[in-house]
Amino acid sequence: MTSTLAPRRRERPAVGSYLFLIVLTLAFLAPVVWALLSAFKPAPSIISAPLTFDPSTFTLANFTAMFEDVPIGRGFFNTGIVLVTKGTITLFFAPLAAYAFAKYSFVGKNLIFGAVLITLMLPTIVLIVPLLLEMKLLGWVNTYQALILPGAVDAFAIFWMRQVIAAVPDELLDAARVDGCGEFGIFTRIVLPVIRPGLAGLAVLTIMNIYNDFVWPVIVASSERMATLQVVLSTLAQNITGNRIGADYATVTGELLAASSVALVPLLVLFIALQRHFINGILAGSVKG
Amino acid sequence: MAALTAARTRRRLAPYVFVLPFVAIFAAFSVYPLFFTARLSFTSWRGSGAAEWVGWENYTYLLTSSAFWSSLANSGILWVLIIPAQLVIALLAAVLLNSARIRLRGFFRVAFIVPFVTPLVAVAQIWVVVFDTQYGAVNGALNLLGLPDIGWLTTTVWAKPTLALLFIWKTTGFIIIILLSGLQSIDGTLYEAASIDGASRRRQLTAITAPLLRRTIMFAVVLQTLAVFQMFAEPFVVTQGGPYSSTTTAGYYLYNHITRADLGTGAANSFLLVLLVMVLSLVFVRLLRAKD
Repeated sequence: MTSTLAPRRRERPAVGSYLFLIVLTLAFLAPVVWALLSAFKPAPSIISAPLTFDPSTFTLANFTAMFEDVPIGRGFFNTGIVLVTKGTITLFFAPLAAYAFAKYSFVGKNLIFGAVLITLMLPTIVLIVPLLLEMKLLGWVNTYQALILPGAVDAFAIFWMRQVIAAVPDELLDAARVDGCGEFGIFTRIVLPVIRPGLAGLAVLTIMNIYNDFVWPVIVASSERMATLQVVLSTLAQNITGNRIGADYATVTGELLAASSVALVPLLVLFIALQRHFINGILAGSVKG
Repeated sequence: MAALTAARTRRRLAPYVFVLPFVAIFAAFSVYPLFFTARLSFTSWRGSGAAEWVGWENYTYLLTSSAFWSSLANSGILWVLIIPAQLVIALLAAVLLNSARIRLRGFFRVAFIVPFVTPLVAVAQIWVVVFDTQYGAVNGALNLLGLPDIGWLTTTVWAKPTLALLFIWKTTGFIIIILLSGLQSIDGTLYEAASIDGASRRRQLTAITAPLLRRTIMFAVVLQTLAVFQMFAEPFVVTQGGPYSSTTTAGYYLYNHITRADLGTGAANSFLLVLLVMVLSLVFVRLLRAKD
């Protein structure tokens, strides 16, 4: 990373600059903050007084009602299973293949890597129709396999990890070979530890992608048993009105905001804890080569 | 000697073993479906029974269908509403975040990226609530100012801008970080030299930053163009393509074929969309190169 050498100049108070940054910050944070606060308000006042928050009326009613009406626990469970399996596959097999692309020569290397680059440019939506048919042929509709395997080792992860591993000095690998380390041992004992920062970036991005993924899950696994968190969330309003005949708009809104908050918070906490890895990951991986 | 040969053999075979899991998944779930789509686009298959070969019929159907063109037009209008505004905001923010004069840069960086990491569906649901005509917070604020309600998501005039706003809100932070990475790769001594030569801050921005950042801007524009023309989840959750198909984007229109089990047309539509996106990407690359 190059340091940010800003031009030297006479110091001027940058009022306009701060104003712009602060307004932008407020605009970016307001919807999330509003939703989080409103979720703890009595449902009717979310509508009657949307712009105020009175701490004395703090309530968990929206959350308790939501947990009763919406299979959100099931959604978390399914997302958790996909997160653990798919995440592990990505974080192990993407660097492993990238290691081969970066440090070995083998027949078909350029052909396969060329194909990887092409799929990087293809809109993912192109594959949706045939993938869905493939899942039907395999009998995988509404199964975990369908949620986990397609895209488990995606082109972007390979591309990114190849850049990262290419920067590992060959001398390090050769020294390990001289010491009698096997090829796989070099990967697990030398490469993986050395690329840990890049791997952390990939981990954050992968977790985020899997947790937020919506288009594929809603198409291939929308049954109530298999619905991931995002799928549950997307059909929430219909669900609530279906379960609670005569539920008014305020009730539905209250539960909707409660569910959105519950879905938002884990990722926000994870992101704030790991933001350095994530931002540096994009900074390092976006515009190279 | 034997041990050495064995080690060498292992070293020759190792890469094949290492790429195997990736290649298997890649072949089964990326390469195969791609070829499958190509073939499917020339059939009238509806998901069961025998596939009937129809030649270019799906393509000619789409190219003469007004619904197809209006889905592209909707995406085109969204592109115009989104990209210029987003680029200006992101450029300003990135330049400021790259300047040593600004304090709390780390805080702003995190604040800006928050929308990008929040789950789209959760945010889209919040959008539905906030922009509700009768009960939403936005109209509530307008009423306080003595202004009348606006049908943000229920009128054909306002639905697109409201959706565009969601997209800008959600993705601008990511673009800021990408532009920031471009700015950070510009050699700082260039500014020093320009400063010594008496170039003003504004002059430095147009003479150094803008030309050197062109590649990064191009990357961001291509990335966002892909995203806008594929946009699906936003209209799916917020507007279901309505009112009156005004937010039926190219991506959402494609999904309509799937729900009607019109798979041949869906496949043809996919390829037309890819073609369009690739042509657009090439045009941007050309436009930005031409000035070099």
